[in-house]
Amino acid sequence: MKKLLALVFVLVMLLSCTAMADDMTVVVMPKLVGIPYFNASEIGALAAGEELGINVIYTGPTTGDAALQVQMIEDLLIDGIDALAIAPNDPDSVSPALQKCIADGVLVMDWDTTANADDVTYSIQQIDNKVLGEMLVDLLVESMGADEGEYAIVTGYLTAANLNTWIDYSKAYAAEKYPGLTLVTDPVASDESAQEAYTQTMALIGAYPNLKGILGYSTPAPIGAAMAVQEKGLQDSIAVVGTSMPTDSAPYLKDGSLDYGVLWDPSQLGKLAVYVAYLNLTGAEIEGYEVPGVGPIHINEDGRTIIMADPSVWTAENVDNYKF
Amino acid sequence: MKEHFKRNMHQYRLLALLGILLIVMGFLVPGKFLTVRNFRNMGFQMAEFGILAIGMSAVIMTGGINLSIVNSAMLASIISSFVMRAMYDGGNGMAELPCIAIGIVVTFAVALLCGLFNGFFVAYIGVIPILVTLGSQTVFDGVALNITRGSSVSGFPKLFQQIGMGTFLGIPYTMLVYLVVILVAYLLIERSYWGISIYMVGGNEKATRFSGINTRKTLMGVYVFSAMMAAVAGILMTSRYNSARADYGSSYTMQAIAATVLGGTSITGGSGHVLGTVIAVAIIQVVSSGFNILKINRNFTDIAIGLILIGMLAIKHFVDKEKMLARK
Repeated sequence: MKKLLALVFVLVMLLSCTAMADDMTVVVMPKLVGIPYFNASEIGALAAGEELGINVIYTGPTTGDAALQVQMIEDLLIDGIDALAIAPNDPDSVSPALQKCIADGVLVMDWDTTANADDVTYSIQQIDNKVLGEMLVDLLVESMGADEGEYAIVTGYLTAANLNTWIDYSKAYAAEKYPGLTLVTDPVASDESAQEAYTQTMALIGAYPNLKGILGYSTPAPIGAAMAVQEKGLQDSIAVVGTSMPTDSAPYLKDGSLDYGVLWDPSQLGKLAVYVAYLNLTGAEIEGYEVPGVGPIHINEDGRTIIMADPSVWTAENVDNYKF
Repeated sequence: MKEHFKRNMHQYRLLALLGILLIVMGFLVPGKFLTVRNFRNMGFQMAEFGILAIGMSAVIMTGGINLSIVNSAMLASIISSFVMRAMYDGGNGMAELPCIAIGIVVTFAVALLCGLFNGFFVAYIGVIPILVTLGSQTVFDGVALNITRGSSVSGFPKLFQQIGMGTFLGIPYTMLVYLVVILVAYLLIERSYWGISIYMVGGNEKATRFSGINTRKTLMGVYVFSAMMAAVAGILMTSRYNSARADYGSSYTMQAIAATVLGGTSITGGSGHVLGTVIAVAIIQVVSSGFNILKINRNFTDIAIGLILIGMLAIKHFVDKEKMLARK
């Protein structure tokens, strides 16, 4: 019994020490913990906490259950927090809990996934869809080495809203800026599977012998397309550019079958969320603030939406620096 | 008195564990855990899970299991949400109160159908409960996903939120509902003729049938009871989250089984107490809230609850074995 009491005492001491170290507490809550994407954003969020000397807590449910997220928010309020940045599993279900936070004077923001507009002061989004769509076309033209020729689009699902938005921006931009580019056929679906993208790309290469470029949307699509190009040995005649995860892309970038991978860096997103919370809480100017490693912050005209920056580009040279 | 204590040893052990946990948390989060505010907070959260756990316990006492309990709660909530939204029509339709009343009736009606579905296959066709409810889990979930396309349904009267957020004399309504449910469940399961037949079916179904008890009715009743618990929990959840969606509370299914077993109900049926489950739910709530307030990684919460479950069951097992030996 004495030992137990001693143990409890030591624990209390330890915990009260850590609790006293910093004054400001910012909670960053992902949809769930334990998947590579959200592990990467944890690294960024915690790094920002160290840079700023504030207390950053990165915590979320172990499954993507909206009910668990609500409970965690309610419990965190008991201890008192200064800011909450949340990637909601469902915007409606967290709304009452976020309103409780606001009533308690907590700064509420969303990141990665948007919450209901009435529930947040800031909304931190990874990219501008238009910028991404246009960037992919520019990179494709650069890899093809010519601003004319035939290209094809391999996408995830034809119903995916975000992918369709990117594709629409890409097509409109290509038609306007590079009239010499011709899209050989409507976007081909690959069902978010690299294997299916490989099969579809093989068919495209067979059907269109003059194909010079492939744009891949959804993270497995460019990988599958690169697999096909690699197998056919067409690295030099067909350019592949698309949205992909760097660790998946590395082998294909290095042998030239994939020319550029484009996506955002989730660790930068976590970092940005913490910086915005810090700046708001200290009353500093947010607009134009230079976040180390991320860039200057720009708030959109709605006064709420902050778009992280341009997408990150992976090449054969830099891909090994990213671990997700 | 001594006999009573002996028979309910496990529940007293659980109560002691709950007390220790409260004291430890009180030390770890000084001035914040043992406060009215936090108890109210836990009261808001505990009800929906506790009611589901009681619904799960009754089924497990018969030697069965109900894997679709949360899905029937959500399916009923989704359909009633659609009905309420259509009738309320953003304030242009029916008045708030009758609209909510109809919504609640619809929730119970849909849940009843879910319960009859499970009960029919278990009691009258004789399919193993785990297979029936695994199947109905997919069916209910599939229907819910299909009619909502995976998104959430909201837009009902503002007043409906009060069920999940309001308080009476400082006590959350959800907690009052939970207390009523505990009382009703206790009377039905431990103090009624039907309740006795639940334990008998769980102990030995064949012998029970040959002793002249209609075991089919007992089993059907248990699945309907479980579905009614799902309906109550569904109403509380829909109100608390101000919306209904197919996957709300998806983590509650396994947790409800864990709470039942931690509460002393044998997974093979025939024994268990409503209050055991209620104390087990409180233990899980205290660990979960305490760890959240301490901002400990959620994975450790799962680990801690798992360890408590195994530890308490091991103690129960050894004590029971000793008792058996002593009797010889």
